[in-house]
Amino acid sequence: MNRYPIGVRVRTLLRSFSIQGSWNYETLIGTGYAFSLVPALRHLYGPTGDELENAVNRHLGLFNSHPYFATVAIGAVAKLEADRTEPAVINRFKLALRGSLGSLGDRLIWSTWRPMAVLVGLVLLLGGATWWIGIVCFLALYNSLHLTVRVLGLRMGSRAGLELGRVLREAPIQPLIDRASRVACALAGLAVVLAAAPASGDPEQVAVAVAAVVFGLLVSLHTRRTIILLLAAVTILALLMGLVGNGA
Amino acid sequence: MEFDWPVFVGLILFGGVVAVDGTSFGQFMISRPLVAATIGGWIVGEPAQGATIGLVLETLHLGVLPVGAAKYPEGGPAAVAAGAVYGAMVPLATPLLVLVIGTLILEYLGGETVHLMRILNGRIHGGELTANGVKGMERRHLVSIGIDFCRGVVLVSIGTVFLTAWAGLLLPFWGLSERVSGLLVVGIVVAMLTSAFRNLGAKYWFAAIGAVIGLVALYLNS
Repeated sequence: MNRYPIGVRVRTLLRSFSIQGSWNYETLIGTGYAFSLVPALRHLYGPTGDELENAVNRHLGLFNSHPYFATVAIGAVAKLEADRTEPAVINRFKLALRGSLGSLGDRLIWSTWRPMAVLVGLVLLLGGATWWIGIVCFLALYNSLHLTVRVLGLRMGSRAGLELGRVLREAPIQPLIDRASRVACALAGLAVVLAAAPASGDPEQVAVAVAAVVFGLLVSLHTRRTIILLLAAVTILALLMGLVGNGA
Repeated sequence: MEFDWPVFVGLILFGGVVAVDGTSFGQFMISRPLVAATIGGWIVGEPAQGATIGLVLETLHLGVLPVGAAKYPEGGPAAVAAGAVYGAMVPLATPLLVLVIGTLILEYLGGETVHLMRILNGRIHGGELTANGVKGMERRHLVSIGIDFCRGVVLVSIGTVFLTAWAGLLLPFWGLSERVSGLLVVGIVVAMLTSAFRNLGAKYWFAAIGAVIGLVALYLNS
């Protein structure tokens, strides 16, 4: 995108924030992808006309990626369009990018960075910080990487073009995942202690906290579902007890 | 419990913003239960109570991953309603637990509406450019985001009424003591945090370091 004027680049970046705006089961984020690419295509093919429509049509098909990392693909394809690369080559390139950008984003953002940032907010709140400090710290930390990925991703894609695979392999993403995962684990340990803190000195509450830790470790991935089933049982039990109590 | 009209309007508009942030635009994570519930509580004048229920809902949402075409419960609009309704109640563990249970039902309802919206989006957007060419496609894209906003507005409207009725209906017959309800809330939060640790790769040494830091901080604070 370096060949595009700054206005086109900014409009493309802003549009990329809505890449999932028309998410559907037929094309996934395909429409949003084309929507984000329109400023670049208008710059190349003019504001209206068949050439523009044909170009947009080529990008309206199925596409999927992590929403933040999609800017990498947008930048790279904008460069290929500017280089007048064969449409068939661009399509194969997009197909190859789909899986890897999705997997990268899911592992870095959804599975590691977001839990880590959330845990920072939770630890602050559990530690007694004022409500807004926890919220602001979480949002600031999370969005620091979010916005970096969007902005640098667009730039990286537009510089690399077809060389994107090599550039992504060289990017220090795995070390970042490893470090964030370690920090998140430490924060989870800290949060468990702080959440159970009111229990100190009360044997019953200590027992509940210890049982909850064991339960969380054993049930692991199914904890949410199991807790929801337990809560349904608790609700029925509590209502029965209340009704019997009221009746008595 | 009743909300003034300006407060209610503020809540449902914020619900629209939260729904859009969840998927359609930005994903700045205003839609996380922690943030949405806290701001929901802030709109009714009790941000700390909003943060309390937001914290519990957030731990329950930690393992939910919005990957690909997966169907998942939607935490944001439900959390706005929960933060507002809990903010208007006495800050005790029993109403907190009752509202968390009601909010989980709302989250599934929200997830179903996301699924329906995706089907609707499929009908709105064909595979190729149709009417009005590129401009038409751009307009339809913005219409989809507008539909998502309206979905959030409706969800928070229904959610606020539902949770108020839910609490009003269940609390008079709730047979568990305040202490037992409090223990259950602590148990839920601790279990969910522990399972989050497992999902993060279970690096035991780092979790142990975090736990020791927590214990030292508690000791120094006592």
